[in-house]
Amino acid sequence: MSEPTVVAAHASAAQPESGDSLSDRRALRAARIRAVAFILIGVIALLWASSSFGVTAKFSFWLQERGGASADLVTTVGVLWVAAGVASIVVGVLQLVRGASFRWRRWLLVVIAPWVAATLGALINGKTATMTNVLASSLEAATPITMAALAGILSERSGMFNIALEGKMLVGAFVAAVASSLVFLSTSNALLATLVGVALAMLTCGLLGLLLAWLGIRHKVDQIIAGTVINIGAVGITDVIYLRVLQHSTQYNAPPSVQAMRLPLLADIPVLGPIFFEARPFVYVAYILVIVLTYLIYRTRWGLRLRASGEKPAAAGTVGINVLAIRYRSLFYAGLIAGLAGSYLSLATSGSFQMQMTAGKGFIGLAAVIFGAWHPIGAFFAALVFGFADAVQSLLSILGVAVPPQLLASVPYVVTIIVVAGVVGRVRGPAEAGRPYEQG
Amino acid sequence: MTRARSLGRRIVVPALSVITALLVGAIVIVLTDFEHLSQLTTDPGAAIGGALGGVARAYGAMLTGAFGDPGRVLTALQSGNSKDIAAAIRPITETLVATMPLIFCGLAVAVSFRAGMFNIGADGQLRLGALAATMTAIFLSGQVPAPVILVLAILMAVIAGGLWGFVPGLLKARTGAHEVITTIMLNYISSLVLFFALRSPVLRAAGSTSPVSKNLVPIVDVPNIIDLPTIRLDWGFIVALLMAVAVSWLLFRTTKGFELRASGFSATAARYAGMSAGGSMMLAMTISGGLAGMSGGFMVIGTVGQLSLDISGQIGFNAIALALLAGLRPSGVVMAALLFGALTNGGKLMGVQSGIPFDLLIFVMALVIMFVAAPGLIRSIWRIKVTPPSPEVPSMTTAAPAEQA
Amino acid sequence: MRLELRDITKRFPGVLANDRISISADRGKVLGMLGENGAGKTTLMNILSGLYRPDSGQILIDGEERVFRDPVDAITAGVGMVHQHFMLVPVFDVVEAVALGAETVKGPLKTFDRAAARKRVVELSEQYGLDVNPDARIESLPVGVRQRVEIIKALYRHSDILVLDEPSAVLTPHETEELFGIIRSLAAAGTTVIFITHKLNEVLEVADDIVVLRRGRVAGTADPKTATRQTLANLMVGRDVELIVPKGPAKPADVVLHIENLFVRNDRLDMSVKGLDLDVRAGEIVAVAGVQGNGQTELVEAITGLRSADSGTITIGGHHTEKASPRQVSDLGVAHIPEDRGRDGLISTMTIAENYILDSYHKAPYSHNGVFDLNAVRERAAQGVKDFDIRTPSIETYAGALSGGNQQKVVVAREFSVPVQLVVAAQPTRGLDVGSIEYIHRRLVEQRDAGAAILIVSTELDEVLAVGDRIAVMFDGRIVGILSGDDATYENLGLLMGGATFGGGVAA
Repeated sequence: MSEPTVVAAHASAAQPESGDSLSDRRALRAARIRAVAFILIGVIALLWASSSFGVTAKFSFWLQERGGASADLVTTVGVLWVAAGVASIVVGVLQLVRGASFRWRRWLLVVIAPWVAATLGALINGKTATMTNVLASSLEAATPITMAALAGILSERSGMFNIALEGKMLVGAFVAAVASSLVFLSTSNALLATLVGVALAMLTCGLLGLLLAWLGIRHKVDQIIAGTVINIGAVGITDVIYLRVLQHSTQYNAPPSVQAMRLPLLADIPVLGPIFFEARPFVYVAYILVIVLTYLIYRTRWGLRLRASGEKPAAAGTVGINVLAIRYRSLFYAGLIAGLAGSYLSLATSGSFQMQMTAGKGFIGLAAVIFGAWHPIGAFFAALVFGFADAVQSLLSILGVAVPPQLLASVPYVVTIIVVAGVVGRVRGPAEAGRPYEQG
Repeated sequence: MTRARSLGRRIVVPALSVITALLVGAIVIVLTDFEHLSQLTTDPGAAIGGALGGVARAYGAMLTGAFGDPGRVLTALQSGNSKDIAAAIRPITETLVATMPLIFCGLAVAVSFRAGMFNIGADGQLRLGALAATMTAIFLSGQVPAPVILVLAILMAVIAGGLWGFVPGLLKARTGAHEVITTIMLNYISSLVLFFALRSPVLRAAGSTSPVSKNLVPIVDVPNIIDLPTIRLDWGFIVALLMAVAVSWLLFRTTKGFELRASGFSATAARYAGMSAGGSMMLAMTISGGLAGMSGGFMVIGTVGQLSLDISGQIGFNAIALALLAGLRPSGVVMAALLFGALTNGGKLMGVQSGIPFDLLIFVMALVIMFVAAPGLIRSIWRIKVTPPSPEVPSMTTAAPAEQA
Repeated sequence: MRLELRDITKRFPGVLANDRISISADRGKVLGMLGENGAGKTTLMNILSGLYRPDSGQILIDGEERVFRDPVDAITAGVGMVHQHFMLVPVFDVVEAVALGAETVKGPLKTFDRAAARKRVVELSEQYGLDVNPDARIESLPVGVRQRVEIIKALYRHSDILVLDEPSAVLTPHETEELFGIIRSLAAAGTTVIFITHKLNEVLEVADDIVVLRRGRVAGTADPKTATRQTLANLMVGRDVELIVPKGPAKPADVVLHIENLFVRNDRLDMSVKGLDLDVRAGEIVAVAGVQGNGQTELVEAITGLRSADSGTITIGGHHTEKASPRQVSDLGVAHIPEDRGRDGLISTMTIAENYILDSYHKAPYSHNGVFDLNAVRERAAQGVKDFDIRTPSIETYAGALSGGNQQKVVVAREFSVPVQLVVAAQPTRGLDVGSIEYIHRRLVEQRDAGAAILIVSTELDEVLAVGDRIAVMFDGRIVGILSGDDATYENLGLLMGGATFGGGVAA
């Protein structure tokens, strides 16, 4: 073989690959800005602290059961602000010292936790915050969001956007309320009524899921538009029936409401028991769903194929997996879960169906999907954040704190925007979610 | 192919979509007619007849509500009594009043869709525009002449709506945040902002316990086109039509519109061609929000005269349906808005006369969107051959003359 | 015969993709299937793998007719497919990616038995010397290894008819040699291998029998012991191929594009271009050769302003453009023919006229102060369609309705509709028929002779050798050697592409 006639060769430019490059400089500048920001908010917290050492902050936890003996954490708001300030400054300094390689997102919680505590302390302004209630109602509020998020995860893992969760939940809430009322009217059996209501709500929403899949797959309707059809249609149809029928015949909209249920043994765990195991059965179902789905998605054949059809449907199709069938089925299951979430709203929270009662919970669920990195457990904790915002809101209104309720009510929506904008952290979803797949 | 035939082909799917949706709506009316349906076992004929009669009454009321009674218009015109004329033509002018915000918001949605942005936030942008106009009017009340207030109020409405649209555009361009989620969240937030603002005694109607603003008519009112008592149709409608022309011109005659459409079709190809796809997204969303905001402005200082929490009604949702129905063409938006305006206005009378809730139309709109987006459904329901709508969206050089300013 | 296809015919709207194709392959043999893009190779392969069903014709396995309704039927019959674009889930690890669709399960929930699958992957890997880490994530693996994972995937399903579609497209010559070794050992173990390619020398090297496809038909068969490159090429294109583009000697003038010590990161922020130097002069064509994925895409994007350089210098006609936007670069008179014309070069839902002005719409004569002159647009576009012989009913036709060759002509017509000093063409003839290829090459030479500097990036050695006045070989983010067009051969380019440098060593 002839020797190459080399005109010019740069065999190995011995240039270090990092160093003075543009992206490194940018990263470093961003790191410095972040460090300064952390330190700045730390200083602000310290300044606030100085004026609030006189205000006590009392966080109370029930030991065994609701309303029983309690353990109180008593401190002053000033101390909490100092904690928030110190935490912020420490993280800021760490950021400054370690530069661009500092994993600041992991440390964010260290800053956020004392800030939330201090803000809460400042808001209740000397009153007592019963944290058991706050946390327990966070869980309750997080339950429909968790379920919506699980439905979203199932759909997106299979490769379909499911913007229609909101509408499905609304329909689910409606069907559950009406079906449960009807059964209760004729049998007076509250348990049976609830079970039938929930089952029918799930089934209806499962069918809606199939409708979404059919529009998206068979008719190649953009999945966002198809979802919007269901969302708008759900508002329209439930409004019509509510106004035409339920408003006058209130007996059809009076389902037996689902009460909290103490789980034996588990509810006796001090402090934690009353928070986690003295809730409505829906909450327990949410726990189970989170665990079961995590196992199913990551450990079973079904999960492997589900993830494949969302990540690279062609790879699944060429080994004989019916991707479209998986997508249809996933949307059906997602519908079942969305129906469950919807029935929680009408059977547990308000005890009746109200027009447009979902109020964006389906969309917040989608934000929890992103926040939770498409993982059931992540989504559960993300939903808890939203639930906490909700619970704090009701705490403050109970305590009569003079904060405009609209301001607090908007918190979950603002947080959702921040989450989907990826300020909290960029995570990658299923690669092919939302894209149609042509099966040969 | 002749232009007429191409127009006919273009119109067949939308027309059948609306008809089919109304038919499904009729089924809903029948199925929720418990009064008659309860007789089904005892007297099936009367039950079905009664239920179908309900449909006829409902849709009949809708027609009368939308277009009035032609005979009455004639008699009134002959009599020359201005009060009679006003009463007779009022259904039609009210239809146009309902059409006005639909044109604005339909254009808003069409512009954003053209740029590949699915703006579901027209409601929120409209609310913010309405709030800005209300605040401008109340703050400037008595300090500057009414015409100045009018111009400033509309301007502020456009700016406020534009900003409310710009935010999701910015988030999408910079972080990839999906505009469907962000615009919907901004819708909820806008409701709360409105609620919060209407708590203020400065804005709230004196002595009112419900969150509504002071009556703005004494401060500023968009002049009416026809000067008759109780007729609300004003120059806002003309501005809406002008905006349709302007949007058409923007999309098909200007380089900005070209960039916007190119980025909407293919963000990567637009980038390769030296355009800024992100810039187009932000521009489109800002224009979109501005149009919706303008709508809110014209409503509070014109046709409605007052800011309330439900100022936007379901206009945002309807706007999505009609923009899709119109194939994202500005001229089509005007036509579709007239149709939806008639449905909306007629729907009010339907609610009063037949007890069928106005919300039925929301359901019908959803069906319209579905049928337009899935022409295959229409094809199989009506068993017709619709040649695939290949150039569904018009191009710069093929756009019908009507599209060109 | 282990595998026999008889009179396979498959028609798509407007295209007869396979026209009575008959081939056969015996146990332990390697059948080379040669053909140009569009010759019908991929369709035939999709029929064989159960993705398409033939309109007529038979598939026989061991002399027995079989009907493949879906991929499972094909897999059951022993057919394993290694696709050109790997069919592996990027976020899976090797075990998961291999087992997908053929998972062993246990328990009531049908839990994936990873341990069992892993054991088998390790066994197969060792048995055939495939050297694959079973726990690595697919997206972290180099392409050569991914291909071996694909082979394991087929073997995992007990396939003994292995179909490889253009397997060398993404491999270095060295990796290709390794692949041939694997193919030979598979054949020795009794596997039937069908090797699909358009590269003449590869079939000559590895195949036991050769079948050549042209325009959906079997153009002929050949025996690798007696066939030559020229006879195969003739069979493939149906006439004597002009491997040389008619062009006079280059007359290099001033340096137009000057790149010095350029570093560019890819989307995943890894450094892809690592200290690259290159000059392109007016009046010459510099062809950048290299295996896909050695930083060519990032290099082109950096030159055209689509990607900002991490560090280093790029000047075009004396202007620094490291931080320039695509618009600024284009305004310097730089024509860019992008790699993926369907996605990046054209908007298929816009008309030819609109595509024709896609990057100069903002300038006179098309628009003034942001407002279009539609007559000027129509006139110029019609002229472009005429000048570049674009076959279309009208300028109002949607670009997506055109054939690949005509689409590329639209791109070229647009890019050459304004005076250019530099042309950057990435894979300008990929997927085109021979006529269009010649046409595009001729236009590029015309631009050169008119005094433009031309930079062509291509993974096709034939193209590089045909048009390059100078040929720069890119490997691992650097130019590892520049040869004059007259000195370059398949062999010395191949060596450089594999990382061999002056002196024969291998760069890291």
